[in-house]
Amino acid sequence: MKVAIIEERCVGHGMCLLACPELFELSDEDGHAFLRSENVPPALQEAVLQAQRGCPEQAIVTSA
Amino acid sequence: MDQAQDLKKCPIDFDHESEDHVASWPAEFREMRDTCPVAWTERHGGFWVATRYKDIVAMAQDDATFSSFKTFDPHSGDVSGGITIPATPIPRGLPVESDRPDWDVFRKFLNRRFAPKAAEARRQNIRRYADSLLNRVIETGEMDLVNDFTGPVPAMTTMELMGLPLEEWRQFADPLHEMVFTPKNSPDFPKVIADVQWIFQRCIETFHQRRSQPPQDDLLSYFAHEQIDGRPITEEEMLSFCNNIITGGVDTTTALTTHALVYLNEHPEDYRRLKDDPSLLPVAREEFVRYFTPIHGLARNVTRDVEVNNARMEKGDRVYLAWAAANRDPEIFDAPEEVDIARFPNRHIAFGAGMHRCIGSFMARVMFEEMMQAVFARIPDYRVDPERAHRYTSVGTINGWIDMPTVFTPGPRVETGLVL
Repeated sequence: MKVAIIEERCVGHGMCLLACPELFELSDEDGHAFLRSENVPPALQEAVLQAQRGCPEQAIVTSA
Repeated sequence: MDQAQDLKKCPIDFDHESEDHVASWPAEFREMRDTCPVAWTERHGGFWVATRYKDIVAMAQDDATFSSFKTFDPHSGDVSGGITIPATPIPRGLPVESDRPDWDVFRKFLNRRFAPKAAEARRQNIRRYADSLLNRVIETGEMDLVNDFTGPVPAMTTMELMGLPLEEWRQFADPLHEMVFTPKNSPDFPKVIADVQWIFQRCIETFHQRRSQPPQDDLLSYFAHEQIDGRPITEEEMLSFCNNIITGGVDTTTALTTHALVYLNEHPEDYRRLKDDPSLLPVAREEFVRYFTPIHGLARNVTRDVEVNNARMEKGDRVYLAWAAANRDPEIFDAPEEVDIARFPNRHIAFGAGMHRCIGSFMARVMFEEMMQAVFARIPDYRVDPERAHRYTSVGTINGWIDMPTVFTPGPRVETGLVL
């Protein structure tokens, strides 16, 4: 599974960090999210899907 | 009469500022979401009210169509636009009451000061304020939760951030609370406004002092020394930044923490879970933010004719985005009218949505956590008495408690290096 953030949509709710701190980080500049890696290991797939479902801006996309 | 005018007729007579709304809002919003999700009310000069989650997020994200711009003429008192209904006759808040491209400059200027790392750096001091405030009352076994604790902690945190002298915490904390709950037609209101103006006067004085001092690590020094677009910041812009930070960051966090502590007193099983395992606090915190939504809603100006969920809005209309209604929308949340401290994921928009989303949310989260941890550690058997407490008479600005009598087993003071 791969994951990406639509940067124009992210405004820094930070819910992805709560869901999956292993892959999501928040910027020290503006609190917007960025990824440590776009590759999602199997063990983190459920957490990344939670991050996607929990994003109020629908700024997270996943693909198989 | 054309069709658009007809569509502005809605059976719902909605006034978010009314006393009735304080108790009836969950039912009122439920009915509006079901029957009239974008409603028109004639109150306050007439405005639209949006109550469904998806409509509200879409409008908040479309910042070109739904503007936040405000104008205020201090000489005539004329005011238009902005994020409150009715528009308040005070200078606009920045960045929140600006549009692109100005917004990009103002928001970027502040972002770093409120980013997660900046908020985390305050954690120890926030806990120190919480412990110092508890020291004032811990040996007596009683306090007023709001006036002695959940009010002053965010006030002092904000003062430190701004660079204002901490020993004036009481003169700072009280008016910022009173301003929100004192009805505008009350005989007390002029004094409250004068007290709030004193705070802004202190900001002006400190701002000018900082200009002749070397740069320091506080916001008023930052405003005094840094530049926007290659020029110094004007006094008017500085006051608009202060307005946004002070009115956005203090009483909102007070309301959230008070509501949460009242809820936990009434739900001892949830209290035990959080106290025994504070790693559950961040998820629970977001649920409290969702459920209590301290800022119930904010307004936008419609900049072009546009249709939203069958409502035909016209250029020049005003629309109220009811975050509190969105946060209980059953299309998004299971059992939305219940608190589930383990609810996750939690797509709430209590901090707003789109580009204007709350800049202080990371600060608020740290303040909430440290206040809760201080309660767990020092007054774990606290008992609140909501029967003797008072709710705000309007939830139009913030949904909070005026006061909250509280008792606990007396305990020892702790060393904080700060005597209040």
